Amino acid sequence: MKRKNVSWKLMVLAALLPILVVISINVSLGDELHHESFKRFGNAILTSYVLVGIILVGNLFFYADSRHRPFAPLIGMVCAIAIGLAVAWALISKENLLLEQNSGLRAQMLMNIVHTIVIGTAMALASVLAVGSTFTMITGRKRKRLFLHEEE
Amino acid sequence: MLDAAIWFWIPMLLIPLGLWFSISGKAKVLGNVVSILGLALVMASSWTVPNSDSSAAGHLLLWITAPTILLCYGMHGAIFGGNVPVGRLDPSARYSGYGAVFLSLLILCLMHWSSLTPLWRNEEINPYWIVFWPTFLLFSTSLLSLAALALVSYGEDRGPEAVKLAAFSVLMAGIAIAGITFDGNKIAAEQFQDYLWLAAADIFGSLIGATIALGVFAAVIWGHEKSLPVPSNTEPPTNDEIKHVVNLAKKHIVGEEE
Repeated sequence: MKRKNVSWKLMVLAALLPILVVISINVSLGDELHHESFKRFGNAILTSYVLVGIILVGNLFFYADSRHRPFAPLIGMVCAIAIGLAVAWALISKENLLLEQNSGLRAQMLMNIVHTIVIGTAMALASVLAVGSTFTMITGRKRKRLFLHEEE
Repeated sequence: MLDAAIWFWIPMLLIPLGLWFSISGKAKVLGNVVSILGLALVMASSWTVPNSDSSAAGHLLLWITAPTILLCYGMHGAIFGGNVPVGRLDPSARYSGYGAVFLSLLILCLMHWSSLTPLWRNEEINPYWIVFWPTFLLFSTSLLSLAALALVSYGEDRGPEAVKLAAFSVLMAGIAIAGITFDGNKIAAEQFQDYLWLAAADIFGSLIGATIALGVFAAVIWGHEKSLPVPSNTEPPTNDEIKHVVNLAKKHIVGEEE
């Protein structure tokens, strides 16, 4: 079978373009850049970095089974997560940088975790819809008859 | 704070813990029970700890349970009612699947534009609903567009199916544009415009953060593997060892020569 050569840049563009189009329409309808957008963006980066890092530390246990349980990667990942937490702590503590409408550092961090869980749920449900629709389209077509004598 | 820890955060931690036990195969049944129990307690948190702001997330999860189950059921029927080599369902499952997917999307739309909107404390709109809804719309629009291009690029003669996926992507974008144009039951169009901005910031931020974490993980593993000593080559087998292996092989090979 001939394998088509598709650029990954085109794939990224296909994923980004619809979001950019909807946001452009949003702008054209009169909405300006929301003043909390940067804070939300920064909090989303730091929180998802720390949460995905913790999930990957759990994954290291499976990796360790086939490698005589090395300690070094575990320490490495724990340090990486600790750096992420320290950066989050420093940036949220700095007034009006990443602190949204919350009373303080602890409230903001807890809100970030819950917020990321909600975002993750929305993205997971959207993935079910998109992947499911793709497979529905693939299986929806009638099967091609490759060899006539098979059914005779 | 203690109540929130007991009734929301500990059950929330039980969900991944149970999944970890289940996936690792160490205690599959126990893991599933722990996860389901944790999820049920999180969903019930708006009654058990109504004063905690975090319980709004549990309330939202409870509200979207019905459309989520309907969507998963519909997708299962629509996929396995088609031409699949194993586990094929009756062809009518395909149409009931389409119906279930349509109904789940309709329920989600009604949660925005009709009285089904999730209301939380003091009859106010659940703050996480207006985070979930625009994120779901934007991300599904994006993924469906990606799927359409992937199908037409990697598949053989998949043009018509790719067009249908692209149309579905446009439909989801249309729902998002309707949200920023027409007022919902409890959410004004201007308010939805703000949340659409924030949803885009959330999606890009979350994806970038997860990518950085994966990059760091890859770097840590690569660094560790690189630091390991190269395994030394073993000596070739001696004549005695070769004779021993040949003898063993002869003992276990049966059959007559033609």
